[in-house]
Amino acid sequence: MTPKNSLQEALSKSLIFVAGKGGVGKTCVSQAIARALASQTTGRDRRKKRVLWVTFEDPFRPAGELKEIQPNLFELNCEAQTAFEEYTSMKIGIPSLTRILVQNSLVRYLAKAAPGIHELVLLGKVWYERTRWDHVVCDMPSTGYGLAMFQSTSNFADLFRGGPIHSDAESMLESFNNPKECSQLIVSLPEEMPLRESIELNDFLLKLFPKNRPAFLVNRRFPHSNELKRTELPDAWSSPLAHSPTEYVEKRAVLEAFNLRIWSDLGISFSELPYIKPTSLEVSSNRIPESIVNALSEVLRRQEVLPS
Amino acid sequence: MSPNLDHSKIARSKIDASLETQSILVTCGTGGVGKTTVSAALAVRAACLGKKAVVITIDPAKRLATSLGLSDIGDQATDLTPALNAILLQKGQAPVPDSGSLHAIMPDTRETFEGFIRSLTSNEAVAKRVIQNPIFQIFSREFSGSNEYMAMQRLLGLHREKQFDLIILDTPPSRNTLALLDAPKLLARFFDERLIRWLVLPANKLVSAGMRKALGLLEKLTGAAFMSHLFEFASALFEVRVQFSANLSKITDLLSERTTSFLLVAAPSRDTAPDAVHFVQTVQEHQFHFEGMIVNRRLSHLGPVQSQMISDAPLPHQKEALDVLAGLQAREEAAMADLGKRLESFASNQQHSRPLCLSLPELARDVHSLSDLVEISRAFETFNPA
Repeated sequence: MTPKNSLQEALSKSLIFVAGKGGVGKTCVSQAIARALASQTTGRDRRKKRVLWVTFEDPFRPAGELKEIQPNLFELNCEAQTAFEEYTSMKIGIPSLTRILVQNSLVRYLAKAAPGIHELVLLGKVWYERTRWDHVVCDMPSTGYGLAMFQSTSNFADLFRGGPIHSDAESMLESFNNPKECSQLIVSLPEEMPLRESIELNDFLLKLFPKNRPAFLVNRRFPHSNELKRTELPDAWSSPLAHSPTEYVEKRAVLEAFNLRIWSDLGISFSELPYIKPTSLEVSSNRIPESIVNALSEVLRRQEVLPS
Repeated sequence: MSPNLDHSKIARSKIDASLETQSILVTCGTGGVGKTTVSAALAVRAACLGKKAVVITIDPAKRLATSLGLSDIGDQATDLTPALNAILLQKGQAPVPDSGSLHAIMPDTRETFEGFIRSLTSNEAVAKRVIQNPIFQIFSREFSGSNEYMAMQRLLGLHREKQFDLIILDTPPSRNTLALLDAPKLLARFFDERLIRWLVLPANKLVSAGMRKALGLLEKLTGAAFMSHLFEFASALFEVRVQFSANLSKITDLLSERTTSFLLVAAPSRDTAPDAVHFVQTVQEHQFHFEGMIVNRRLSHLGPVQSQMISDAPLPHQKEALDVLAGLQAREEAAMADLGKRLESFASNQQHSRPLCLSLPELARDVHSLSDLVEISRAFETFNPA
């Protein structure tokens, strides 16, 4: 069937990168996507989908371990040293030789200090995992660092000419560029800076992966009416401040609609996720606000954007 | 707490003592908290207090230029004092005192990094060898994480020039607020003499069989071309390692000076207090000075959402919006209480005076003008009177 929209299309892929500026809610959105997908069944036998959610080098999570967070949904805090060791042992094949390499102080130093190797092995790990799950959902680092990960893969494809890393990097790039295998979902808030930055991110990703158009999603949309009658410009307001709750929510609706023109003027179609009202000051050990993630995952199910 | 600014004279704010006594303020914070806007507003305020202030921001997204309403700011300091004075005049406020000025800089990372390498050696051939090496080329690209280090390099240069009384360094956006503090260490690993020495020795001098074997395996994985680039890069770095280390300790010294302070900018959320604690601890581990935090984007100035307002709202989406706002305010209140407690216990454990904890309001629109920055700079006094 033809997908309802680009979000549904993006969520049907086996490898889903959730990208965007820092603070737009990539972790919550990617978690919500992973949870929603893990609630689905697949195949003739209607078995539950197996989903892996990946984040990169989160200092607040145990590194490199695979952890089941709910039935069929696993979490991985991908970490370069572990990924590097796994990769080399796969390539070299002989455990004693692998040890010589990864335990060598100079090699360890290079793996840590050399630019790009770090990013390359992190993405390599995700790429390797993609065939072992129904979906791998990646919570990417914020724009600059996220781009650096893709950029360095591309750089290293050149730099390592003649070795096996070169051909692996090439295959990775091919997968990331293949709209059948992989999707990029750019998340933003209805605020000016993240919306603008997302366009730069889009341009950059298209340069690297010209065959795979990113999908767009705006998160934390304040409740609003679809027919906004006011057409005033926020810059014309006399003060940058609102002075009462009512004034704030009215101005906010105008501002968000105004900001979203940054996307619509370029003909970008996008999906929306609502602002979920926080219920409390949740501080959980995994730093994920459960009630918000669950509410978002519920919204995704209701919007019928999950792959059918 | 009235955010109406109609008085022409600047009133005292709790932040003013820091602006007057410090020579460097480093603002840190995760993405989306308004760090760049706050940094620029701090510089505006310092200028109005008679300081020669400069704000420097390392940001490929050009946020600083946008929030100043400019299309671009360059690698060299742009003088914004005349523009600021025009706005102050328009608003009926006192102009920048004669002693004060406002400048902004957005460094070109690549240029600075090349300049840095050249500054480490008087030998042009060595500099060229580093700069033209493909590994260096990748390393110095905008997105390769060298931004933090270069930010500090630029800071060191500006500090030496002594053109400014106060330098406000807006650090690059990152998830980890502390990436900046770790950057010199990361780069230092590159110049680690014990290890780099292995790479510059001719292969036949490699005494250790293990080392020979490991490098052989590495070459199999990466290809011969990479290894030769690497050896070349290493030997060039080896020549500048001493100067690099000296430079690194100058940066560390500058950051440890009593007139250099770190400010954490945050938005009120569930992460505010835990992040603040983590930040304070790390700043202290480095023996740097934590000045305090600025909680930006606060919603308290709107006053509480009354249930009457929700029932009076004519349309369902307005009721919903007010309800979400009420939830955000409640969370903010809890976050601020949590933060207050933790800062208090930090102060009593360290026998330290309680660090600054300032608030700034959420704005109803994005900042596109020096005029709005002036309003925020004045919000420091309305929201945080001395």
